[in-house]
Amino acid sequence: MTERRLRIAIAVASLLGLGIAAYLTYVHYAHTTVLCVAGGGGCEKVQNSDQSKLAGIPVAVLGLVGYAGIFGSALVRGEAARIGGALLALIGIGFSLYLTYAEIFLIHAICQWCVASCVVMAILAALTCARLLLPDEGAARAPSGSRGELGARVG
Amino acid sequence: MTQRAPTRKERRDQARAERVAREQEAARRAQFRRRLGILGGVVGLAIVAVVVAIALSSSGGSHKSSTTGQTTSLFAGIPEKGITLGKPNAPVTLEEYGDLQCPFCREYTLNALPTLVRDYVRTGKVKMVFHNLSFIGPDSVTAGRVAQAAGMQNKLWPFIDRFYANQGQENTGYVTRDFLDKVASQVPGLDKQKLFSDADSAASQTGLAAANASANTRGVKSTPRFFVSVNGKPAQELQPSSLTPGGFESQLNALLAKAT
Repeated sequence: MTERRLRIAIAVASLLGLGIAAYLTYVHYAHTTVLCVAGGGGCEKVQNSDQSKLAGIPVAVLGLVGYAGIFGSALVRGEAARIGGALLALIGIGFSLYLTYAEIFLIHAICQWCVASCVVMAILAALTCARLLLPDEGAARAPSGSRGELGARVG
Repeated sequence: MTQRAPTRKERRDQARAERVAREQEAARRAQFRRRLGILGGVVGLAIVAVVVAIALSSSGGSHKSSTTGQTTSLFAGIPEKGITLGKPNAPVTLEEYGDLQCPFCREYTLNALPTLVRDYVRTGKVKMVFHNLSFIGPDSVTAGRVAQAAGMQNKLWPFIDRFYANQGQENTGYVTRDFLDKVASQVPGLDKQKLFSDADSAASQTGLAAANASANTRGVKSTPRFFVSVNGKPAQELQPSSLTPGGFESQLNALLAKAT
């Protein structure tokens, strides 16, 4: 997959994540009930748990910032954007996996929004790491067998 | 037909092409190793960040379930009548619309209420009114009727404090007689026999209906919602910046300054 396609995929997935995080942030500050398709109050319980905040900041807000950062990295070319995007996505998936563990073993409730966010973050981690592993842009554009620097030295 | 032997120039070009290919392959591999190194560094940084975040998350729990003793000392000596807590002549009235099954109401009650009661109600600056809504489900109605009955003994506030501390998962049918008995047992001085008798009476239903009617008048559709009034003037909505004491304090202080 070319870097351009990877960047488009990253932008689309991060927009999806932004939507989820924005909804959960709205629910937090509007003090309304979370729309939980599965029912059973699992979302409410998770949103109201000790794990729903990190150092006093709602996790939904942190997710919003993280997805916005990854989306921004997809809009920019260059090494810093590749590294920044992968770093944010890897932190995101690491913390999402911890939150999934907490839902199952500590809170004893599952929030479908959090699961959806975890899946999106896993996809983003894979895409941003693939982008980071792509050859340097200059090398990728050089036609094979061209008389570049190597050819000049050999000749 | 015999194949012509390559000329010296052709052999030299072929050797050069092979050498270029080998060097390009080596360069490609070196670059891939470099990129793997960068990815390794990024993964390492991410692991450190996640470990720190998990440590913060585990140690920074914001919900502290109050104990029965804390509830008793929180409300001890504060005048209470029906759904009102505090001195009748307190200049500022803070009204809350809450549902006993609402987790955000629980958050407010456990995180903000104790400080607000200590700093504003106990000092006679503010009196609090609890409008018991019951829109989340049947468990809300069952709980609400018993809370109203506790209000008939002027024990509504410690009862709802204990209820929130023991709150279960919404609409799972957890609000049973045994559960309510357990909550009531944590409120000193509450006559349980009278409590359940009053909960079954029409008076408790009237109390819930009055709360719902008040909510409809003010357009309250979610909980918790807050309204404040100064010296009996018309109430206005108070929108806290958070469900912590700090989310209320600046606005209450501004109202108190206006009241004097």
